[in-house]
Amino acid sequence: MVTETAPEFETQDLLINVGPQHPSTHGVFRMVLEVDGEVVKELVPHIGYLHRGAEKLCENNDFRQGVGYMDRTEYLAAHNAELSYVMAVEALAELEVPARAQWIRMILCELNRLSSHFMFFGAFGVDVGVFGTPFVYAWRERETLIDLFEEISGDRMMYAYFRAGGLAWEVPANFKERVHEVLKSSRQGVKDFDGLLTENEIFIARTKNVGIISAEDAIEIGMSGSSLRASGVNLDIRKTEPYLFYDQVEFDVPLGENGDVFDRYYVRLQEMEQSMRIIEQCLERLEDGPIMPEKMPRMLRLPEGQEVYIRTEAPRGEYGVYLVSKGGNKPWRLKVRSACLSNLQALRQMSVGQYVADAIIILGSIDIVLSEVDR
Amino acid sequence: MKGIMKSLAVTMSTFIRGPVTRNYPTEHRELPERDRAFPILLWDQDIDEPFCTGCHACERACPVECMTVLMKDNPAHESQGGTSKRRKIVDEFWIDYGRCMRCNICVEVCNFEAIAMNNTWQGHEMSVYDRSDLVMDLPQLMSQSKAEEIQEWVAD
Amino acid sequence: MSDGIFGVENAWLDAAIRIQLIVGLMTVVVMGLIYLERKILARFQQRLGPTRTGPAGLLQSVADALKLVGKEDLRPRNADPWTFELAPYLVFVPVFLGFVVVPFVAGWEVRVVELGLIYFVSVSSLSIIGWIMAGWGSDNRYAMIGGMRAAAQAISYELPLVLALISVAMVADSYNLEEIVQGQAATPNIVWQPLVVVVFLIAGLAELNRTPFDIPVGESEVVGGPFVEYSGIRWSFFFLAEYAALFIMSLIFAAVFLGGWAWPLGEEWGRGWQLVLVSVKAGTFMFFVFWVRASVPRLRIDQLMSFSWKILLPLMLVQVLINGAVLVYGGSLWILTIAGLVGVGVLAKLVGDAVSQPRPKVVAASAEGEVAS
Repeated sequence: MVTETAPEFETQDLLINVGPQHPSTHGVFRMVLEVDGEVVKELVPHIGYLHRGAEKLCENNDFRQGVGYMDRTEYLAAHNAELSYVMAVEALAELEVPARAQWIRMILCELNRLSSHFMFFGAFGVDVGVFGTPFVYAWRERETLIDLFEEISGDRMMYAYFRAGGLAWEVPANFKERVHEVLKSSRQGVKDFDGLLTENEIFIARTKNVGIISAEDAIEIGMSGSSLRASGVNLDIRKTEPYLFYDQVEFDVPLGENGDVFDRYYVRLQEMEQSMRIIEQCLERLEDGPIMPEKMPRMLRLPEGQEVYIRTEAPRGEYGVYLVSKGGNKPWRLKVRSACLSNLQALRQMSVGQYVADAIIILGSIDIVLSEVDR
Repeated sequence: MKGIMKSLAVTMSTFIRGPVTRNYPTEHRELPERDRAFPILLWDQDIDEPFCTGCHACERACPVECMTVLMKDNPAHESQGGTSKRRKIVDEFWIDYGRCMRCNICVEVCNFEAIAMNNTWQGHEMSVYDRSDLVMDLPQLMSQSKAEEIQEWVAD
Repeated sequence: MSDGIFGVENAWLDAAIRIQLIVGLMTVVVMGLIYLERKILARFQQRLGPTRTGPAGLLQSVADALKLVGKEDLRPRNADPWTFELAPYLVFVPVFLGFVVVPFVAGWEVRVVELGLIYFVSVSSLSIIGWIMAGWGSDNRYAMIGGMRAAAQAISYELPLVLALISVAMVADSYNLEEIVQGQAATPNIVWQPLVVVVFLIAGLAELNRTPFDIPVGESEVVGGPFVEYSGIRWSFFFLAEYAALFIMSLIFAAVFLGGWAWPLGEEWGRGWQLVLVSVKAGTFMFFVFWVRASVPRLRIDQLMSFSWKILLPLMLVQVLINGAVLVYGGSLWILTIAGLVGVGVLAKLVGDAVSQPRPKVVAASAEGEVAS
């Protein structure tokens, strides 16, 4: 009787470069996958392709000029980026922001959350393989939202609308009606996405139990935002450290169960519903009044040697601004705590051991925008 | 199977809804009043000279330093026999549209309401073959307002 | 045997003329299909599709074809010359060979073959060799992976497809496509074999490499499939073969399941009506293919294979058994209908259970927002 074990095949691991030019629009991001057959063994991300030195540039610009730069650090959710910055300046300058400005800021930030999540659905749908339908639906909805932003601030994506103390100018007279119109169309968009993807068996088969990250691991890595809540961690800055008037409106915080790709998708879908709820409550409570404090200095100067860290719940997570003042009208140091960079740390852990096709979906589900990762 | 049927139903409903395409460049949508393209200078039609006095306020306020301004004594001032109240007037003005970030700060700081953001389609359709063609000089900046082609919006 | 076309007596000349007609027709039809797909897909996505080249964008396919012809014909230095260059032909020609048996209207096929269905299935499987040749001959490891995946998928879905056609042949009692169509003058076969229709639709999508089974030609995947190294007119052969296969599959579907040119009232109302019938039926299949493409995500390769082997194949074997039992022991054909509908229900349930999750609940957070440790 001859016992012979089959020879061990010496296979070489393939190195696949998912290059800076991506088939699905996440921006310029490069990851190198080491693949054994179909299974990912190692993943090395390369970032920095979109670094423009925004933080350094802000050191030479005063507190009105810096708002334009903060837009560009997260262009899909620019209102939220501007918000953190102006809140930091207001905290150091001890400015009292009038109520009307706060309500309008809240409405605009939540509308921006809607448009950012629509963008996520579009790109994610293309990643999963639907030929282009979710992407076009996403842009259809974003178009209505962006048209509204253009009527308010003049620009479709880089608003430069918030100022330290309030807003740059008043919203147009038909603001409430326009927001209601936009909400109606966004509801239809959310319904379309829900019907298209959530119960689709193939979608579920592709996304369930793929790219799982546990709650402990997520907290250790420093994730925040929807990706963290999808793992079951109940952390929403709007509830734990309420800013603007979030403690005066009612909304729920959706949580996931498994921390897989499907949960991240579903949590964002539910967050959009909650955002629309918040916007409606804000519209009811919106009152007339000034949008800038009365005693507003012409050139804002901050006291010397002060520092503050302000964080807000941007659509992608905790977007924080750390501001150190040196006594003039320019900051000494402005540091942006980027949510996407921290969330991206989890990519390797989520992808190792999964199939190559899933690595793409996992990257899409973290919802990164490279301008925030690289600043 | 039910989920797939639902997806098919959603796409069929959009099939029936019809296209939402706006056929650019055959049709241009109407821009809102506050639309913010690139800055242009305004022309005072009553006195027939620019509002801008060349005071450098916008040049200093610009975050990206895209403007260059030169001022001169106004030959049309009352002291010289003219009708204008402006002692100084702009001599040369360059804006590099390639650097401008359209943040509106120059409009906000101007004391004379002499500069405004272009809210027409000409402000958006700015394709050139050479980047240096994007540096606009004074006649180019004033041409639209001189020809009364715009209804500018300046925030109060 | 049918009469010579245009009254030509010589069988060879007659065949040659018919083949020329088919080839000419096919090229135009394929270009038209590409245009139609783009327009219909665009309409599903609420956009317009090609509008500018020619009136309503009709000349878009012509423009694409001209562009492809004008491209440089590249061949990788280490690519095996014979394999690399013959692969497109081996993908393209078998599809056209399948046209020999397709019944357009009464008397308008190239030849009536007694074993028409068997001929069709066996000839269309030859393209798999072309895919593997393209993958291997390109000297590109990604192309080879893509080629292997394509071959694996094609082979796995070949079996349910063949069994589906055999089931219908059992009911129609013939392999001859002409007779199958004529036998449906009273009722189309879809009434007797609903489960088989569903399985044919699914397996047909997989054979055509269409969403949700388009991993080999996946566009947002990491690599582009076995055709990465092909450019210009060689690549257009693969593209045309795909659309020609779509056309032929829709005609077979119309002929075998929906009654082709014979139902309803085909023989009485003459050629024009028959053409309309065939067009409408083939058109529904094609519309369904485009509709699914616009709506459904892509399956992963292992999910795709397990779906075919574990779900579709057993169902089809059971269907063949039931068919045999009913036909041999002389039961009413309505038993087949009921069994088929039950089968469709079973399929739906199996698919649902494989991924079943009830709609997830939204867990509302408490106001204090405690952090899970």
